[in-house]
Amino acid sequence: MKESLMDVICCPLDKAPLELDVDDADDEEVLAGTLTCTECGETYPIEDGIPNLLPPDMREEAAA
Amino acid sequence: MTGDGDERGGGGAERGGAERGGGLAERRGVDDVVVYQPAEDSGLLAEAAVAEAHGRVLEVGTGSGWVAERVATERDLDVVGSDLNPHAAREARERGVEAVVADLLSPFRADAFDAVCFNPPYLPTDPDNEWGDWMERALSGGESGRELIEPFLADVDRVLAPDGVVLLLVSSLTGYDEVLDLIDEAGFAADPVVEESFPFETLTVLALRRA
Repeated sequence: MKESLMDVICCPLDKAPLELDVDDADDEEVLAGTLTCTECGETYPIEDGIPNLLPPDMREEAAA
Repeated sequence: MTGDGDERGGGGAERGGAERGGGLAERRGVDDVVVYQPAEDSGLLAEAAVAEAHGRVLEVGTGSGWVAERVATERDLDVVGSDLNPHAAREARERGVEAVVADLLSPFRADAFDAVCFNPPYLPTDPDNEWGDWMERALSGGESGRELIEPFLADVDRVLAPDGVVLLLVSSLTGYDEVLDLIDEAGFAADPVVEESFPFETLTVLALRRA
């Protein structure tokens, strides 16, 4: 994901802004990292350049 | 999602499973088997979106990312593609689409997008006949055919910027008048942008603007 995506995404639970922690990036994009809700503290992973912004209960269902 | 719509609505298990498996998987990678691939409905939505979209664009349920990619390349717009299915998000990203795994509009900010496109899973599906895989999630609109359209329309006003437009694909199988009622309830006025009839359904892309 490009860092500009931060302008349009929010926590799916309470719509609060997210904070980006970058673990891996190239010139253009964040490839791995974590998005953390500044309100409720829920975390959302970024893997292979794709943020998973499903609410936690749906994330587990989707992985199954 | 047409032509054989009747067959998928009733006997979707064969369609979603075996027929799309095997050969496709070997030729084009595992993700394709569980990701809805571009069809007539995708072509119509792309045509409407290329004509009507402006500014920052979101495609909900982007699937393979084909529509999002066309809008991005033909109009040179910033397009985000979201899908519940992580396989779909991967495929969209491979096309160069900014991809997000999301449930409908839930992780998007208020006023974030000037255009929102959606080709919803719309086939009315008997609960006893649901087959429970990613392809079902891409095709089935629940018993009414409107189970994803309802929550989408209830929330889309929030993410839409002033003067924004929603491009929604509607099939006659889903109940055109019922969808128009939902659009009205959500505070939008609808204008058809493109329409095409097929043996089993008529597909219309509606442009929704705040009434």
